[in-house]
Amino acid sequence: MAFFDRSNAMAKPGFNRWLVPPAALCIHLCIGEAYAFSVFTKPMAQAIGITAPKPGADWTVPELGWIFSLAILVLGLSAAFGGKWVERAGPRKAMFVAALCFSGGLILAGIGVNAHLLWLVYLGYGVVGGCGLGIGYISPVSTLIKWFPDRPGLATGTAIMGFGGGAMIGAPLSVLLMKHFANPSGTGVAQTMFVLGVLYFIWMVVGSLIVRIPQEGWKPVGYIAPVASQAMITSKNVVLERALRTPQFYLLWLVLCLNVTAGIGVIAQASLMIQDIFGVTAVAAAGFVGLISLFNMGGRIFWASLSDFVGRKRTYAIFFIAGAVLYAFVPTWGHLHAVALFVLSFVLIISMYGGGFATIPAYLRDLYGTVNVGAIHGALLTAWSVAGIAGPVLINYIREYEINHGVAKADAYSVTMYVMAALLVVGLLCDLAVRPVDERHYLEAQTVT
Amino acid sequence: MDQLEERMGPEDSNTTMLVVAWLWVGLPLAWGIAVTIANATKLFQ
Repeated sequence: MAFFDRSNAMAKPGFNRWLVPPAALCIHLCIGEAYAFSVFTKPMAQAIGITAPKPGADWTVPELGWIFSLAILVLGLSAAFGGKWVERAGPRKAMFVAALCFSGGLILAGIGVNAHLLWLVYLGYGVVGGCGLGIGYISPVSTLIKWFPDRPGLATGTAIMGFGGGAMIGAPLSVLLMKHFANPSGTGVAQTMFVLGVLYFIWMVVGSLIVRIPQEGWKPVGYIAPVASQAMITSKNVVLERALRTPQFYLLWLVLCLNVTAGIGVIAQASLMIQDIFGVTAVAAAGFVGLISLFNMGGRIFWASLSDFVGRKRTYAIFFIAGAVLYAFVPTWGHLHAVALFVLSFVLIISMYGGGFATIPAYLRDLYGTVNVGAIHGALLTAWSVAGIAGPVLINYIREYEINHGVAKADAYSVTMYVMAALLVVGLLCDLAVRPVDERHYLEAQTVT
Repeated sequence: MDQLEERMGPEDSNTTMLVVAWLWVGLPLAWGIAVTIANATKLFQ
């Protein structure tokens, strides 16, 4: 295990920093498979009946829905509690542990599916795999920020783009593998999980082998650190414990939580929603889901890179203002039966949802410096866990309530859209309230006193 | 330190490794994007 130690991952002279983004992508493209987990839902719900669910014997869809929710919950918790360890152990060891957990979780879940033990699937994919998701998600972030002090948004955006893009590989690959392994006595889910577990392990370990940490004091040629006049970007550092005592941390927690809440519900219900509102076919709805994935990924690199030029606070202000306006117009597009405008609104909203994830590490780096940014980012990801439950619950329950009270299916989402717009307005207020961190929290100030 | 910075600049990069690393992640991603776009076109058919 010494090979994976922080000291063995230090870059030697001549190392090209552009090798670090592909190392990060090796991790994020794999763990992003989590967004594609829904491709397993239907075949897992008929694991016994094979051609159709067997009532009483097969698992139900709501039971299976908890696998993804549990994984996202554990992602947030492991990122929060594992952040300090990731900083200490370094990216190589963290990436290797993430590979073990994520791949091991998939294989455990495969054994659970094979033996038809739901608790083992929860434990495998939800808990063990969820730890791999959390540790893997934060493992390359602070390293990238240290390699790219001149373009932190671009660097973290590239990595976190991978999490959005992972579903685009994971979904079709899983479908292909399930088709290959399916036979009259099985749906092929377990075998698919075994193969994915092995493939993802190889891919992630390659990332852990490539990654390097810059030497102390390294900076890109010609780079000049931000001057004091850029009040929202500090050249000093705040440690995790002190960051948790600043109002900025909680404001950014709300910023992330509200931005994710507004987007994640749509991602979870996109297919059903466009079918309910416009009556399109399931195939066309799948196309809408594909477009959403593309913009979720593209938005991560686009908005995070843009934030390097316009600033993080302004970038989030754009997300919240544009998002609220777009959400407020969605019911109108439904009434006018304007499918193209509806699709355009949602792909833009989802691009900003992805952009929110990708821009937050750079926002944290601006406010708290680079020393503990990985651990602070990990702690902030608990906002994702909360939003991962709040977003889908808001969309599902308001829809059910509306339909049960006689509202037509096509109009059942109008209230939800206005609620989402209102949440984004609250997010805007939180973003506008963010100010530079008080000098007394800086590590340098504490060392001096 | 200036000397170190100079030596670690992109001009000293191992180009082959850089290309292989980006292909390692780029090819699967390009395949995923192509499949997704093919599915997305069904929305407008």
